[in-house]
Amino acid sequence: MKKLSGLLAVSLSTSLALALPSLAAGPGDNIKQGKSLGEAGYEWNKGDGEEAEALKAKPDLKNGRDVYEVCSACHMPEGWGLTDGTFPQLAGQHFKVIIKQMSDIRAKNRDNPTMYPFALPSQIGGPQAIADVAAYIQSLKMNPKPGLGDGKDLALGEKLYKENCVRCHGEHGEGDNEKFFPRLEGQHYNYLLRQYQWIKEGKRRNANPDMVKQIQTFTDRDTKAVLDYVSRIKPPKDKLAPVGWKNPDFK
Amino acid sequence: MNRTPKKSYLLLAGLALSLSLIATAAFSADGKTLYEDKGCTGCHGEDAKTPLEKGYPRLAGQNGGYLLQQLMDIKSGARKNGKIPDTMKPVIDELSEPELKLLADYLASLKWVSQGTPPEVAPPGKKLYLTKSCVACHGKEGMKPIMKTYPFLAGQDRTYLLAQMKDIGSKARENGLSNSMQPVMHLVNKKEMDAIAKYLSLVK
Repeated sequence: MKKLSGLLAVSLSTSLALALPSLAAGPGDNIKQGKSLGEAGYEWNKGDGEEAEALKAKPDLKNGRDVYEVCSACHMPEGWGLTDGTFPQLAGQHFKVIIKQMSDIRAKNRDNPTMYPFALPSQIGGPQAIADVAAYIQSLKMNPKPGLGDGKDLALGEKLYKENCVRCHGEHGEGDNEKFFPRLEGQHYNYLLRQYQWIKEGKRRNANPDMVKQIQTFTDRDTKAVLDYVSRIKPPKDKLAPVGWKNPDFK
Repeated sequence: MNRTPKKSYLLLAGLALSLSLIATAAFSADGKTLYEDKGCTGCHGEDAKTPLEKGYPRLAGQNGGYLLQQLMDIKSGARKNGKIPDTMKPVIDELSEPELKLLADYLASLKWVSQGTPPEVAPPGKKLYLTKSCVACHGKEGMKPIMKTYPFLAGQDRTYLLAQMKDIGSKARENGLSNSMQPVMHLVNKKEMDAIAKYLSLVK
């Protein structure tokens, strides 16, 4: 009997190894995928799984700095991203927003093929590491010169912002940590534009359905105007770094 | 000892039998024989690192997960950039998935053409490689890809590297995980791509 089960194990593992392409990443990377926008039962920020665990963790800034080293290849050591919007500014973003977005990307509830491998537990660690890096990112001072729009339609942008966005994202685009609403002020215009379009089209699968609905009637002109306005809102002084600041943690 | 096999063992035995039949078929040829008999050598070279002409990739020691994904994508038609549909797809079409796995494993087992030693005089491509986010996924000197399904780049054919960068940027190539690279391709122009390709091809 022993021999038989040994043979079974061999033939099973051989055939399975042949049948299944080894496309998976490291061990422990199989995180349960939740429901996403458009699926029945989708609930925005359901907050279970890793997000809940990371929110309970006590963040360790020193480890957060070490984890951030991986992120810095694209988001830059300062957390300022690229002004052309390829990579967003992360510096100064709310702790809970970072935790939610990272958990969603890891669970494939927000598609980000470029970032996905870097967010995996095999790269950075478990929920504790998410909390650590989120705390580190929140502590970084922001880029005083983000990427902007053309500046031609700011009056319309301001009007639209005040009528539509303030309720969740705040008077100054400061967002709300407790409610998981992101800080928008000073974010690169092109990044805002891309995410906004993806939210509008339903491509960003972890979007808030209320926002999806609300922006459907916005024209292209409205969109550009309001996002240009947002990118130009100056964050509070205590959140901003001096022009040209270099992060001494990554010398 | 209970001599009557339990139901679950019977089930398992049946499963094992059918699976081992698949396995037997797969083992009727080994990867090296397949590589030689199917004519892969004609274009990629007998040692899998001396391609017939510029623009064909070196394969020896490439990441196994990456190789398998490419082979399967070429067979399915998901990867169809460059000369692939005319040259390689007809060859791959007659191979089964277990055979492709054997091929990928064989090629992965060979020594990669480069040891990751940087060129003595680093061309400008090295700086671009480090600053345009290439290094994040493909690792130092193109030798440490972050995923098994991402390729090694060091010592790869320069013309091939340039063609792939252009094709991924233009979406002529969009198979596998190239969708993770496409969003950053606008960061480099054609001249810069060539500089990066030159640098990577020179890594010893």
